[in-house]
This record gives sequence, structure tokens and C-alpha cells, in this order.
Amino acid sequence: MSLIIEVENVCKRYGDKQALQGVNFSLNQGAPVALVGPNGAGKTTLFSLLCGYIQPTSGSIKILGHKPANSALFGRLSALPQDAQLDPRFSIARQLTFYARLQGMSKKLALKDTQRVIAMVGLEDAANSRPSELSHGMRKRATIAQALLGAPEIVMLDEATAGLDPINAKEIRAIVAEHANDVNFILSSHDLSELERLCDQVLYLESGQLKQHTDLNSKESNRFITLRMKQEYPEFLPSLMAMQGVTHVTVTQDREYLLSIDTQQNTVAIEIALLTMLDKNSWLYAQLINGKTLENQLF
Amino acid sequence: MIRLFNTKRGLLALLAFATIWFIILYHFVGSAASIVTSNTFESMAHQLFGALGLSALLDWPVSEYAIYWLVAVYFFPIFSVLACSDQICSDKQRGTLRFITLRSTRLELIAGRYLGQLLIVSILIMLTIAATAILASVRDIALFGESVLIGAKLAFELLIVVMPFIALMSLLNIIVSSARMAIVVATLFFGLGPLIITFIKYQLGREFYLSLIFPGGQINSILSQNGLDGSHYILPLIQTVVLLTGSHLLMKRTAI
Repeated sequence: MSLIIEVENVCKRYGDKQALQGVNFSLNQGAPVALVGPNGAGKTTLFSLLCGYIQPTSGSIKILGHKPANSALFGRLSALPQDAQLDPRFSIARQLTFYARLQGMSKKLALKDTQRVIAMVGLEDAANSRPSELSHGMRKRATIAQALLGAPEIVMLDEATAGLDPINAKEIRAIVAEHANDVNFILSSHDLSELERLCDQVLYLESGQLKQHTDLNSKESNRFITLRMKQEYPEFLPSLMAMQGVTHVTVTQDREYLLSIDTQQNTVAIEIALLTMLDKNSWLYAQLINGKTLENQLF
Repeated sequence: MIRLFNTKRGLLALLAFATIWFIILYHFVGSAASIVTSNTFESMAHQLFGALGLSALLDWPVSEYAIYWLVAVYFFPIFSVLACSDQICSDKQRGTLRFITLRSTRLELIAGRYLGQLLIVSILIMLTIAATAILASVRDIALFGESVLIGAKLAFELLIVVMPFIALMSLLNIIVSSARMAIVVATLFFGLGPLIITFIKYQLGREFYLSLIFPGGQINSILSQNGLDGSHYILPLIQTVVLLTGSHLLMKRTAI
């Protein structure tokens, strides 16, 4: 697996405010990566640094072996920056064609690629509309379309589904999932279930520092089962604790239980025993998750 | 170019420009020949233009251009400041620059926007020159050849004059956040700048040649179009290069 992003001891200061402090990580080519953190944690600052919109106060960043904003990255790195808008005076198709031309495509190819990305985000009927004539969600989809022009190797989406209705958010997730094998996505979102569904790695930022770099597919996560129940049952918790192979049960939130599994035990056998127990007692469950939820891993 | 010729706002600006120039051409330039050659005006014009050092203009065979030149040499710099006030500001404010800089360098962006604005102003200069030539030719078709020659020379002169003004607006676009603010800062620069320089000169008792930083400093010396040589182009060209280099250096460090 080749290295796509290398961030070494990056700091970013805005006046007196330290937005990022000593951030170190490297990302290899592969499944989508989630960038998570509370508001003001430095996610957008990190995105802006990776895209070359701002310069780090100290430290170094390499994207595909080049410094951010290097012309060698044009067409290879694309992004949906948070709150960035297309020009309201020109149609979406016209602007996307212009961006495609800037990426080096011929006029014919740029027009064709514009149609492709517009179709991907479901905006065929609005292609000739100006952004000012569209809803917030449609404008957002148009900006996602610009990030998909050409064949980028890295696509960074900052809050891509924020403000979208559930159907369109689902479509965007489907686009990411569909292209995840060819494109390295880096996603920032407050929707942890969305990131959990799409991403294999998580970068957790807090107060400008990288607190965790978690691999969601690590063997460590196989030692846990998360169970979400539809209702509260008085006998349920004692029954869980009494199960063979379950070493510990934590109530993580209302009707959600985190089971720690004995490493010597077969997880599948425990899952079958668990489902049998639920069925036998007519206890209704909502979700059975192999491992910890992203939320439980981070917080 | 597309923003000017293919958007409502651009077309409105173009309409305003055309209206102003229609008034200038119809009322001043169109009647220039009759005014300049009339017996009653001739002696007064010679006295007035002579006092201003502009009597050479009265000797031009196409008198329309004498009036055109006097108006255009002040109009186009002011127009450039206004028309080129939004080279980058609104894109920066909206975040559109973030899409563009993923596909082009900041140097390309500065140079591209500057050249685009220069092209627009050049086209408008050419249109007004052409309109003046047509006016002169309508009066006397024999003047057409002469009109083309003088028009080409004046177009070149005007282009050199506006270059640093557009470059100044490029620089201001990087510093400030809106086109309106760029115009305000440019107005303060030209309005208060000379006062500050005079104050510095008075206080320190030395000439620092700070007035060289102001675009248009050579206008008074080229106004008469008499005895012009290459040295008159050096100052505006140096100003343009310095302002554009400054724009690039600032843009490289600017957060977008």
C-alpha cells in the first residue's frame, strides 16, 4: 500500500489561538478515512492545510509526495471545502466545464465529464440552472460534483452530507461507497453512523490535537459486541452478564449494551447464543453490531 | 470577459459605459472640429491650450482626437479602478477560489485575472477609439486613414496608462475583502497619499520620490503628446511589474 498523505508535526496558529498542535499522521491508499472531532477541534483547518488553502505555522505536509497546492496535484486531489459556493452568475454545467478545462481536459471531454458528474449527483434537470436558482441541498450536490470531476486519487469532503435531506445524503454515501475502491476519500462529518458505515480509519481531533488514529477493522474491535434493544427488560442485563464468554457488560447509553468478549471464545458462538436468548425470551432487539460503535470507540 | 459580456450585471455596466461615452462623443468629441476651427474659439483655445501646454493637440489633423484624448486619459484610469475592483474579492469571499486553486496556481490566478481585466479595458478603449474615428470620417472621409493611425497610437498610450491602475486593483483585491472596500482604499490611496507624501517631505526636508508609487504620475507629461519618447512608458511599466509582483507575493501567503 502506498503512502498518500504524510503530516509531520503540523501546527497552525491564528493570532493567539492555536488551531492545530503537533499533528502527526500518515495515510495509506485504501478505504475512506473519517476525520472526526467536536466543533472547533481543527478539522476544517486540517482540511484547508491539506488542500493548500492555508500554510502551516510549522511542520510539513506531503500529499502524494508533493507539497499542498503544488501543480502536480491538480486533477489528482479534489475537495469539497466547507461552505464554499459556486459562482451564482453562471450555470452549474458551465462552471463545472470550466473547472474540468482547468484540470487539462479538452472541451469535448470536459463537457462529457461534466454531464457524468452531474448525473452522479442527480442534478441532470438543473445542469443549466444557476446556483442562485437552486435549493441549499442542490447547491451542495453541485459542489460535490466538482470534486468528482476527472479521476482524482484523493477526494476530501468536508461535511458533505450536512444540510442534505436523507435521500440525497444516502445517494452521496452511495457514491462514496461505490468509488471507494478507486478513490481515497477523506470525510469529515458529525454523523458518526455515516462515517462508521463508510470508513475503515478514523482520525479524531480534539482541541487542535490528534487524540486517536483508529483502525475500525482492527482485531481489537472483534472482542466486543454492541447490542441495541428496542425496549428495556428488567431481566436482560443479568442474563447478559451470566452468558458464557461475556466478561463484562457496559450500558453505554439508553438500551445500548457493550459486551466484552473473552478472547478465548468464538465470537460467532456467542452471537448465536445471544440471539437464541433474545428469541427465547421474546426480547426485541434493534441492532447487533460486531465490535464497538464509532461513538463508543471515541468517547 | 464572460462576466462582462454574458451576465446581467456586466451588461448593465457595459450599458452605463456606452451611455457615458455616447454623451462624451456626441456632445464634446463630435462637435470638436467646429469648436476648435471656429474663429471665435480658435484664439481662446490657443490661449487656453497654450497655457496648459497642450497647443500641439490643436495641430492634429483629426481634431476629434484632441478632445477624445483629453477626456480618455483621465476617464480610463478612473474607469479601470471601478471596473477592475472585483478581480478576486467576491470569489474569495464566496469560497469559489477554493475550487479554482485546486486546479491552478495562485500565480496563474493573479496573472489570468489581471490579463482578463486588461483585455476588457483594451476592448473598451478600442471601441471608443473606433467610435471617434467614425465620427471624424463622417465629417470628412479623407480623415479616415489619419484617424486610424492616430487612434492606434492613442489606444497604445491609453493601454500603458491603465496598466498600473489595474495592477493596483489586483493588489487591493488580495488585501481587502470586497470590491467596494477596494474602491474605498484606492480612493484613499489617491486622495490622502499625496498629502501624506507632502507631509513627510515637509517634515524631513528631503525628496524620497515616493510620488513614483502612484499610478498615473506620468499623465501630465504625456498629456500634450509633444516630444514623447520611450522613457514615458518606463514608469507605468515598472509600477505594473512591482504591483503584480507584490500581488503574487501576498497571494502566496493569503488564506483563501
